[in-house]
Amino acid sequence: MEELLQAIVQGFFVGSTYGLLALGMGLVYGVSGIVNFSHGDFVTLGMYLCLALFSAFALDPYVSIIVVLPVMTLLGAIVYQYLIRPIAGRHLLMIIQLTLGLSLLLQNALMMTFGGQPTRTPSMIESKLFIVGDVVIRGSHLVACISSFALAFLLYFVLQSTDVGRSIRAVQQEPRAAALMGVDVGRVQVMTFAIGIGILAIAAALLLPGLPIQPNQGLRLTVITLLVFVLGGMTNFVGIMLGGVVIGVAEAVGTIYMTEVLGQLLPYLIFIAIMLFRPQGLVWRS
Amino acid sequence: MRPEFFAQLRSPVPWIVLAVAAVMPFVLPNYYLHIFTITLVYAALASAWNIVGGIAGQISLAHSLFVGCGAMLSSALLVRYGLNMWLGVIVSAAAAAAIGAMISFIDFRFRLGHLSFALITMAFAEMAEIYVTGTEFFGGASGLFLPKDTGDFFAFQFGGGRGAFWAMLAMTALCLLANLAILNSPLGYYLRSIRDNENAAQAIGVGLLRNKTLAMTISAVLTAIVGAIYARYLAFVDPYLLVSPTLTVEIILFATVGGLGSVIGPALGAFLLAPLGEILRGHFGGSLPGLHYFIYGAIVVAVILVSPAGVWPAIVSRLAKRGRQKA
Amino acid sequence: MLEVRDVTAGYDGVPVLRNVSLTVGKGELVGLLGANNAGKSTLINVLSGIVPVMSGAILFEGQDIAAMSAPRRVDAGVVQVPEGRLVFPQMTVRENLLLGGVNSTARPNRSRALEHVLSLFPRLGERMEQKAGTLSGGEQQMVALGRGLMAGARLLMLDEPSLGLSPLFVQFIFGIIDKLHAEGLTILLVEQNLALTLKHADRCYVLERGVVAVEGRAEVVRDDPRTRAAYLGM
Repeated sequence: MEELLQAIVQGFFVGSTYGLLALGMGLVYGVSGIVNFSHGDFVTLGMYLCLALFSAFALDPYVSIIVVLPVMTLLGAIVYQYLIRPIAGRHLLMIIQLTLGLSLLLQNALMMTFGGQPTRTPSMIESKLFIVGDVVIRGSHLVACISSFALAFLLYFVLQSTDVGRSIRAVQQEPRAAALMGVDVGRVQVMTFAIGIGILAIAAALLLPGLPIQPNQGLRLTVITLLVFVLGGMTNFVGIMLGGVVIGVAEAVGTIYMTEVLGQLLPYLIFIAIMLFRPQGLVWRS
Repeated sequence: MRPEFFAQLRSPVPWIVLAVAAVMPFVLPNYYLHIFTITLVYAALASAWNIVGGIAGQISLAHSLFVGCGAMLSSALLVRYGLNMWLGVIVSAAAAAAIGAMISFIDFRFRLGHLSFALITMAFAEMAEIYVTGTEFFGGASGLFLPKDTGDFFAFQFGGGRGAFWAMLAMTALCLLANLAILNSPLGYYLRSIRDNENAAQAIGVGLLRNKTLAMTISAVLTAIVGAIYARYLAFVDPYLLVSPTLTVEIILFATVGGLGSVIGPALGAFLLAPLGEILRGHFGGSLPGLHYFIYGAIVVAVILVSPAGVWPAIVSRLAKRGRQKA
Repeated sequence: MLEVRDVTAGYDGVPVLRNVSLTVGKGELVGLLGANNAGKSTLINVLSGIVPVMSGAILFEGQDIAAMSAPRRVDAGVVQVPEGRLVFPQMTVRENLLLGGVNSTARPNRSRALEHVLSLFPRLGERMEQKAGTLSGGEQQMVALGRGLMAGARLLMLDEPSLGLSPLFVQFIFGIIDKLHAEGLTILLVEQNLALTLKHADRCYVLERGVVAVEGRAEVVRDDPRTRAAYLGM
């Protein structure tokens, strides 16, 4: 029982950051119709940038966000403007191919720079533990969870109540009318892609403490993000955060209650089931 | 079968190419013969994928599952039960066909869109890797070793480098032939109409389930057989190579660079990229691991931006233009 | 106020409009008529900057705007209310209206503009927090028109405002158009409905297969036999 509770709590905490990963994807998908298969590689890039800053200046990953966030945001803008924009609106297959190519590119640039060995980056609060009843909570998980939800709320607020946010939603819902109202659709698309990648910089720093990282983990992170993204109904904020938590908990519970293999398969099985029987995602509003 | 199919087969060009390729084992040093063999593996895989991904326009990310099925299942049956590998190949090809048909059925039954299809097939591929690397029957994470190749053809042994090369050459030819036959048959016509507009295809009476399933099973069977020959050639059956979704990514990228939907394109892509990759890996594998993938990635991105249809269609249209100018 | 000089424009190098010239004076209500595919919508999309000009000039208040991007034209006051309304379905009426005033010129006066729009369409005031996608066609047309007014239009271009509306709503919308006209707003009205346009417009242009076939005061256009011919495609 304690084990289960422990797993649920830990899954919930990690899952909230999965939710954050998928929010970035959902935002971009909503505005540009693009599913970025190099999403996980950008997360990995963010992690390695934090690692590099730690090795060079002993910067804590949380502090590194100050540097990594603008760098990744700018990179996102450049990637969209010069690589994705020329083929935006074409067949989905082309976008999948391009972003898969990008994934190979990023993954192996990291491989050549940092080598393929798993590496860990410590953080000041990594070893802090909180004990609530029978449940042990890791400091880094707590920070990740609180920050992820805070960021999700912030994003939601920006989208709902600012002109920038309304412009983003306008492009999402009716790009032609948005253009006629003076919204620069191209700029909104570049901006949302840049924000989407920027969010990953934060998510990377949140996930990093204590986690061994490898350059080739990108595709798996992309898959986890896609699971959450689809589970959450693709553009639904609440749904995506909930999807993150579901996948996080499924992963954590799966590994203690079932054989290791079955436990690892559980998130995928849930994903396929949801895909087939609730393609609109978990939360559905008419 | 349309007459063009036979016309293309009567043309001397493919036969000359095949004959020249067939004498390569007597000409090439071992290292280059190895690279050629690997290239053929990728050419065959890209051609087989083309049936689903190129001709029918269904973005299957599940093909590593079929390769793995052919490689791992037939090997495991041999190693664990001593089952003759020919029989093993038949069993694993049938299993691949069944999985392919199941995926097609799910696609049809739940009317998946392109994106959902890609995602579901990706999930299947990920699950296959997790399952195989975690199951003792398949050798778990450490893989399986096949018995020494003594050249016993009846035990699915081809006698080392040369034999494996010929086997792969024949398999690649078979995959290309399958593409050519499909493109020149009613099936190819149906598949292309499905690719261009699923609803319109259905409206003119093209059966979605039947044709998609057919394409998927043909592709899955070919892919599984290639996987088995590849496993036999490598002798060490490594799940992180043969059931890895990265393998599918490579296949798709080769096919894309060469040109989807055509007979030659996907194989051409493999011939352009795979030798480059193998040589780079040979030279820089120790000092700069990942360089060849990095270059693949760069080439793919460049090709999609410069000539989205791929290299082969670009060559064809260039040649056609020149022909017109002369006339 | 607006002068279109010898404009040729179209899609993918194929001209739809050929040497079209047209003027709209300040405070005028000009009707743009023509059968389906005559090029009416293309013309106002050219004016909005969505369809590029191949040759010719577009002068707005003396300035050539032919090379200006679509968002800049909205800043300048050239605003289109698109055919089929195209409201943002998942947003509330309020958000739709606020988005109308998102361009840099209109933003400072947004609250005043909102009051004006709500005085014209009191019904929208009752539906402010409702999702625009759930409104009736007529109400959506109000939102679209209100959104265009929020944008600080100096030249308001209406594309088929009567399309798919009940006669009662058509009457209401045209009442509003008359009111805006009386307030001094410059309006370019694209319509298929010949009688309705002739009744409300000061002057009219009739497009036929991409060229101006007839132009002049409404009465003149009405009596010109070529007008009917253009409509019947003869």
